[in-house]
Amino acid sequence: MRVTKAVITAAGRQQRSLPLQTLIDSDGHSKPILTILVEEVLRAGIEQVAVVVCPGDEVPYGHAVGSYASRITFVPQDEPQGYGHAIFCANPFTQGEPFLHLVSDHLPIARGQLGCAEDLVQTAQRNDCAVSAVQASRESLLPYFGAVGAKRVANSARLYLVERVLEKPTPTDAEQWLGVPGLRAGHYLCFFGMHVLTPAVMTILGRLLAATPAGVTLSDALNELPQHERYLALESNGRRVDVGSRYGILSAQVALALSGRDREWVLRELLELLATDELDRGHDE
Amino acid sequence: MSNSPFIETIVSSRQDVRNRSLASLCQGLNLAQLSEACAALDAFRRSATNLFERVRAITFLYALHRFHLPPLLGNAPAGRIPYAAYQHLLERRFEEAIDGFLTQASSAGLSEGISSALAQAYYQLAFQTLADQVRHSVRSFAGNRWMFRMGHALDHPLRIAPPLLQRDPETGVRPVLVESTPVRMDLTHSGWSDIFFLGMDYPEGARVINVSIDLAVRGRDPLPQPPVSAFVRVIDEPILRLASIDLGAQAEIDTIGEVFDYARDYLGLLKAAVIASGIVPPGIEGGGQALADLLAQVVGPGCGLELVSHVRGIPKGSRLAVSTTLLSALIAALMRATGQIRALAGTLQEHERRQVAARAILGEWLAGSGGGWQDSGGVWPGIKLIHGVISGEGDPEYGISRGRLLPAHVALGPEQVPPRMRQALQDSLILVHGGMAQNVGPILEMVTERYLLRSPAEWQARQEAGAILDEVLRVLRQGSVRQLGQATTRNFFGPITTMIPWATNLFVESIVAEAQQVLGEDYWGFMMLGGMSGGGMGFMVAPEARSRAQHSLHEIMLRNKAALEHALPFAMEPVVYDFAINEQGSMAQLLRGENALMPGPYYALALPQLLRLNRHTLSAGRRAELDLLARAVRTRPDMAPTAGLLIDALLPANGGITAGGSELDQLLAEHGFDRQEHEQIRRDMRSGLIGLSQNRLPLASEIRDASPEDVLRVPEQDGSLYARGLEALAQGSVAVVTLAGGVGSRWTQGAGVVKAINPFARLGGAQRTFIEVHLAKSARTAQLAGAAVPHAITTSYLTHKPIADVLAAGHNYGYAGPLYLSPGRSIGLRMVPTARDLKFAWEELSQQLLDEQAQKVRESLNAALMAWAVGMGEASDYVDNLPAQCIAPIGHWYEVPNLLRNGVLAQMLDAHPQLQYLMLHNIDTLGASLDPHIVGYLLDRDIRLAVEVVPRRIHDRGGGLARVDGRLRLVEGLAIPHEEQEFDLTYYNSNTFWLQIDALLGLFGLDRGTLRDPAAVDAAIRSMARRVPTYVTLKEVKKRWGHGQEDVYPVAQYEKLWGDMTALPEWQGAYLAVPSRRGQQLKEREQLDSWYRDGSAGYVEALCGWD
Repeated sequence: MRVTKAVITAAGRQQRSLPLQTLIDSDGHSKPILTILVEEVLRAGIEQVAVVVCPGDEVPYGHAVGSYASRITFVPQDEPQGYGHAIFCANPFTQGEPFLHLVSDHLPIARGQLGCAEDLVQTAQRNDCAVSAVQASRESLLPYFGAVGAKRVANSARLYLVERVLEKPTPTDAEQWLGVPGLRAGHYLCFFGMHVLTPAVMTILGRLLAATPAGVTLSDALNELPQHERYLALESNGRRVDVGSRYGILSAQVALALSGRDREWVLRELLELLATDELDRGHDE
Repeated sequence: MSNSPFIETIVSSRQDVRNRSLASLCQGLNLAQLSEACAALDAFRRSATNLFERVRAITFLYALHRFHLPPLLGNAPAGRIPYAAYQHLLERRFEEAIDGFLTQASSAGLSEGISSALAQAYYQLAFQTLADQVRHSVRSFAGNRWMFRMGHALDHPLRIAPPLLQRDPETGVRPVLVESTPVRMDLTHSGWSDIFFLGMDYPEGARVINVSIDLAVRGRDPLPQPPVSAFVRVIDEPILRLASIDLGAQAEIDTIGEVFDYARDYLGLLKAAVIASGIVPPGIEGGGQALADLLAQVVGPGCGLELVSHVRGIPKGSRLAVSTTLLSALIAALMRATGQIRALAGTLQEHERRQVAARAILGEWLAGSGGGWQDSGGVWPGIKLIHGVISGEGDPEYGISRGRLLPAHVALGPEQVPPRMRQALQDSLILVHGGMAQNVGPILEMVTERYLLRSPAEWQARQEAGAILDEVLRVLRQGSVRQLGQATTRNFFGPITTMIPWATNLFVESIVAEAQQVLGEDYWGFMMLGGMSGGGMGFMVAPEARSRAQHSLHEIMLRNKAALEHALPFAMEPVVYDFAINEQGSMAQLLRGENALMPGPYYALALPQLLRLNRHTLSAGRRAELDLLARAVRTRPDMAPTAGLLIDALLPANGGITAGGSELDQLLAEHGFDRQEHEQIRRDMRSGLIGLSQNRLPLASEIRDASPEDVLRVPEQDGSLYARGLEALAQGSVAVVTLAGGVGSRWTQGAGVVKAINPFARLGGAQRTFIEVHLAKSARTAQLAGAAVPHAITTSYLTHKPIADVLAAGHNYGYAGPLYLSPGRSIGLRMVPTARDLKFAWEELSQQLLDEQAQKVRESLNAALMAWAVGMGEASDYVDNLPAQCIAPIGHWYEVPNLLRNGVLAQMLDAHPQLQYLMLHNIDTLGASLDPHIVGYLLDRDIRLAVEVVPRRIHDRGGGLARVDGRLRLVEGLAIPHEEQEFDLTYYNSNTFWLQIDALLGLFGLDRGTLRDPAAVDAAIRSMARRVPTYVTLKEVKKRWGHGQEDVYPVAQYEKLWGDMTALPEWQGAYLAVPSRRGQQLKEREQLDSWYRDGSAGYVEALCGWD
């Protein structure tokens, strides 16, 4: 399997300006979030990128990605019919090929030399199947993510065979269906916001959307996938930052800075800030 | 050790060996051999890793010490029970307690006292071990575990379902989620096989046929409906607003601590649901978090939840698992509201039902209650077979118990129960509530114990019950209600009552017999619902006779209840139901827009308070809701009854039950109530001059045990003494006086039942009352002596008429001898206790600590009762109940002087001038009899006053025989300055006195002549009364309200006790050491079962002449 296409969903009506927010990337350059994401997928060997957008966002987003615009296809989602529908809007773009999928409100930040998307795509290509990047997360985070129930793949430290997927499960459901041997109590494999998906996923999405036009999630489709084909989860080495959450932009910026070339300078600045703040507080008291 | 047949029975893999009874193993063994078996079992249970093997060994040890060893102890010296070990027992340090008792046994030899202590310690250890396992399994159940991990509000992983947050654009009101759940009816439970412990050890035998039903009270409700509903709504305040419509209680909770305070009000079940649903998970208890922060996380900033429960007038004790069903409905509603159940409306999926059931078990444990695993059966639809499941790999129980905690539910479809049978069942089965509401808990423990011991008759009965369940399944398939009735009748009068004789009672047997007689051929059978009879029951009748039968059964129950209402604890008037099988199980609806209202009675509860508030202080949501209510009441025909309810609530016509006013005053006046003395006592109580701590003798009092030579032992086989005694009896020299002035508040937890006429056990082939037994003993003595035995029964205002009526109706139970009733002349008015006395009773006196959660509930209840006492006014008159529950006899001391004062003794002497002795005994000392040996002994030694004492066993609390400051006397437990001093006493007071009449009169300064002078008698009694101490005691009293609801309150009363006569210098009496069987008193119903099984009942039966 070779993955050459990527689909980034950025059609959330509440967060239209989010991909346009500018951050200083780990290379020290100032970029919109969308550009950072595009660079992440290109680094993984992707050749063509589709960005699913609200109608009318094509132009500002096109400006934001600058020189990458030529490799990007904007796919409008005409009606806000949910996450599953947004991905399915890219069906004509993927044309029955496997594709890398990222959400635009999560920023992946690699810990090693290999980019998060790069790691994921290589794993998918090596195993010739759909793979979702996951991260062991405390159960208090369950309301924010999809999560998988899986078994560890023999002789692999980071790969799991997925059996079930639930979107934002309650801990009650998670305990019953999403237990993963080897994980700490109260921890589950939650989505990282990054997947390599096979054409079967589009087929399932299409069927689910035909039955229920609105409210279908990617997790609904992924929950069906193991019945049809092998589907793996890769425990990512990187970290994800939910840029759409409260202080998400700040967290993303700090995380990018600490993983990049300005790390020492930023650390120094942060320490100084903290120390001064503490001293001031001491004086106040 | 492994050679012991006792241990082999426990560990064997062979069923026939495992199922050997303990009794068969003990057959023919002597004391030394049984002691050896005990040592082997104790060593085994300490090292056993398998939970159920350990529990069975512990239960064997309990039974050996309770039933098998004491009869072999013969004349072994009465031993002492070490106080330190007893304290360990109270504190639930069972291992230390057992070690302490065993050390005492090995140094001083085994005695009745030590055996009783070991029996209790082993018993409690066995049930604690089982309870711990159930708790562990509930906590380990997948889906429950996270709730114990979560410790901080910000970590809360639940979120409210978004539709519940959305206000209706028209009305401004948020939707209301309603969960409606049928209750469960149990056609056969195979011998209470749904008890958790049984299902987990014997999953093959754990089977029930469980039917989900809707109910209507006949004559009140038009159509059967799911009896239980729970309502949830998001509100605009960061609080939990809880309301129980049926209990008329509501509260706004703004701290997490209060959520865990179960017994503070009537909302314990709702709080348990809030916790068990995970909204305020158990892991957060005691963490000091703010409820508002938690609710902000789950519901949204500034928001909270309202939870309302509604039971449609189905009385308590229905045996239809109403409270578990309500808990399940509340939990299901809250789980839907937080996405733990996927659909906000409609039925549940199978795994969701199982989760609700597991949470309901958790909730019951939290609230300190609990039944069987079938009780949440109403969550499932229709008719189902629920059965135990053998645990497998992956189950938390695997390797620990043979069975899983939760059973499997197999729906019985049209092939197993054809539609015509379902209809036939509804046409022929009449469900009723007999009006009795009894605690079924002790029965569940008895069942478990018998199962573990494999007692032959009961084990056989268990197998029969299993066969009857198979028969019922066959009959359901074939479609014959008549055969079903035959099977359930056989089940009740066969296996059920063989296993647990206490599952039946005189009321049930009477109504079944009458129903059979009245309905004739149309009567098809009887069925007990749930744990025991007297409450919920079923009758099967020919369908064409249904209406007539419903009417007849109601009449029969009313008539029998009227006849027995002083003898048995009834909580309410009997009712008859209509029912329908519910084929959906628990269902939810989302009420939106104009329909988003709570049920009408909710507003009757909430509105009076709301109207007191300024409208502008209400939240926008609350204002919108009230506007919606106002519109609905005016325009919606279905809301018309609500208007009436609202008016009733705002302008109440009736102030509720209270004894205040003329009725009580009149009663007090009629019965010689001494207001002056009462006021003096009140002043003394308030000032602290008298009270529980002041009951005690001075701290400096020297209290020592009696020495062996202080007591006399009547030779048991002395022919000449026997002949002399029999001759005296033949001459009519001895009469019996049975003290029956008290109601026996411990017997029914203050239900106000007259204990003397309580049909407490089946003896001589019929249900017998205490008085009946005492008269049967007198009849037997009369037969033996060939002469009538005069028998007097002392009464009080509370007991006189019921006793007289029962005797009149039953022709003195066939007693042919002279029978006298000695009416009481003294009456006291109960008082609200002082906080000081409550504190003393609960905090300074030793109390049996309960299991962790039950103890929390008890402490919460005690705090609530303390607040009640302070709120009502300490030492104020207790008048907030029926008059009979507000007054009390003032101790049995007065019952003896009353014989003098009311002329009964004089009458007896007129009729029987040869009368010399009175044997005076408590109503509950069933073994007391006119034993010719004792009579002969007294005459031979010229003993004029004597008291019978018995070796003290662990339950015998309340004083005993002691040397107090050098004088040998009886000392009341209330009066002993240090609790541990009681444990130094070898003998317990049986309260059976032998009084030579002239000596008795002499004590009062009277003789046979002055006995005829009322003024002299009055003066003598008054003078003596001043010399006898008055004790303040706390008693429990039940207050009944609503639909079979009962609250138990502590009340203070004062009393004088006859045993204190022994402290007078002029009392020159002897102390006779008699066997326990003769002197033991039945104070609590829980004692009955072992009394029945340890040979005591047989001993008493042999003393009786029933004809």
